Amino acid sequence: MVNKIKNRKFSQYNFFSKNRKGQMRIQQMSFMLMAVTLFFVLVGIFVLVMRFSGLKDTAKTLEEENAMLLVSKLANSPEFSCENAFGALSNCIDADKVMALASREEYQEFFGVAKIEIRKIYPDNGNIACNEENYETCGLIKVLERNVKTLPSSSTFVSLCRKEIHENLIYDKCEMAKLIVTGEDKT
Amino acid sequence: MEKRKKRGYLEISFGWLFAIIVGATIIFLAIYFSTRLINIERTTTGTETTKEIGILTNPLETGFESAKTSSFTLPLEIKIYNQCDNYSGIFGEQKISLSEKSFNQWKKTGMEISFENKYFFSDDEVEGKTFHVFSKQFNFPFKIADLIFLTSSLNTYCFVNSPEEVQQEISNLNQENLKVIGDEECPQGGITICFDTGECDINVASNYVRKENKRLYFEGNIALMYAAIFSSPEIYECQVSRLMKRTSEIASLYDDKKDTLSDRGCTFDFEANIASFSNLARGITSSSSLNEIKTKADNLDNLNKMGECLLW
Repeated sequence: MVNKIKNRKFSQYNFFSKNRKGQMRIQQMSFMLMAVTLFFVLVGIFVLVMRFSGLKDTAKTLEEENAMLLVSKLANSPEFSCENAFGALSNCIDADKVMALASREEYQEFFGVAKIEIRKIYPDNGNIACNEENYETCGLIKVLERNVKTLPSSSTFVSLCRKEIHENLIYDKCEMAKLIVTGEDKT
Repeated sequence: MEKRKKRGYLEISFGWLFAIIVGATIIFLAIYFSTRLINIERTTTGTETTKEIGILTNPLETGFESAKTSSFTLPLEIKIYNQCDNYSGIFGEQKISLSEKSFNQWKKTGMEISFENKYFFSDDEVEGKTFHVFSKQFNFPFKIADLIFLTSSLNTYCFVNSPEEVQQEISNLNQENLKVIGDEECPQGGITICFDTGECDINVASNYVRKENKRLYFEGNIALMYAAIFSSPEIYECQVSRLMKRTSEIASLYDDKKDTLSDRGCTFDFEANIASFSNLARGITSSSSLNEIKTKADNLDNLNKMGECLLW
C-alpha cells in the first residue's frame, strides 16, 4: 500500500517534471520566434525609413527641378511676356501686365510653385514692394506668394519693360531685373 | 495496444504545432509586406516618372520660335494616360498617369499628376518606349499657351498634300515619326493625314479636322489644327474648353493693362471690346463655337496693331 502511494507520488512528480520541461521548450521557442519576428520588423522599419527619406529627397529635387526649369521659361509665358508690345525682345517681362497679375487670386495654384518675385537690379530700389502708386520707384514685385513651406529659389535675368509718359511723349522703359521662382516643399 | 500505437502515430506535440503556426504567420507576413513594399516602390517610381515627364515639358515653352521638339525614352514599355478635366478650378486640369507592362498585363503605376498650366494633345492612351513631344504656341489673337503634342515612336504620321507652311514646319522639326509624303513613302501602318478629299485616316479641311467621324473645329494659328490631328476628339474638346478659360483670364489681364495705360496717356479704340471678348471666351465649351469669337479676336488684333500703345 505504502509502495503504491510512493509509486503514484513518483509518477506524479515525473509527470510535472516532463510538463515543465515541455513548457520551458515552448517558452524558449516562442521567445526565439518573437525575437526573429522583432528582428524582421526592425529591419523592415529601417528599410522603410531609409526608403522614405530618399523619397522625400526625390520629391524635393523634383520640385526644385520644376522651379529651375520654370524660371528659365516663365518670361515667355503669356501672363508675363512682352509679346510685341515693346518690339521683339526675348526674356522680356511686361511690368504693366505683371502688376495686374499680382492682384489675381485665380493664379495662386496655376504655376505650381510657392513664390514668384521680380526684383529690379538696375536701378536698385531695395526691398520696396511695388503697388500702383509707387510703381516707378519700387524695387520688388511680388507676383505670387503662397503661405507654404518653401525650397531654395531659382532665378534668371530679365528685362522689365513698361510704357512711360514724358512731356506727352509715350516711350518704352526697360529696366534690368531678376525673376525669382521658389518651389513648394511638399514633404 | 494497436489502437494506442495508431493514436501515437498521428500525435503532433504542441511545440511543433506552435512552431508551424507561428512560422507560417511570419512567412505570410513577410510575403505580404514584401509585396506591399514592391507595390509602394512601383508606385513611387511611376509617380516620379510621371512628374518628370511633366517637368521635362517646361523647356518646351516657346519664345519667338514657332515650334519646338524633344523626345524621351524610358527603360520599359509604358502607357501614358492623358486625361483632361475642364471642370476643376478656374483653368481646368491636365492629368497624366502611367501604366507598365508586367506579366503581359498593363498595371497602373504611380499616382496621377495634375498641372493647371499644361495642355497635352494626344490619344487617351499613348503606348511605347520612346515618345516625341513637340510644342507650338496658340495665339488667339495674343499668345494663350504652348500646346504640347505627344506621340509615340510606334505611330508614324504621314502628311499628304499638306500646304507649304505645314510641309516646311514638319521638315524643320525633323521629328522622326512625322513624314511629309512626296519626299518619302508612308510606312505600312502609318496614320495618313490628307489636306484634300482623299481616303485617309484623318482629313483636314479649311477650319476643321475630320477624325473618327467627328468634326474638330480649329481657329487662330495652325496650332489647334495640329492639336486636332494628334489628339482624340474628347481630349481635343476638353482642352479647347480649358484654353478658352485661359484666353478669358489673359484677356482680362490685358483689359486691366489697358486701363493702366489709359491713365498714363495712351489712347485705345477698344472700348469695352476686350472685356466682352473675355466674357465670350469663358462661355466657349466646344470647338464648334470657336468661330463665334474668331471675328472678335481678329478685330481686337487689328485694333491693337493700329493703337498708339501696343497691348501685346
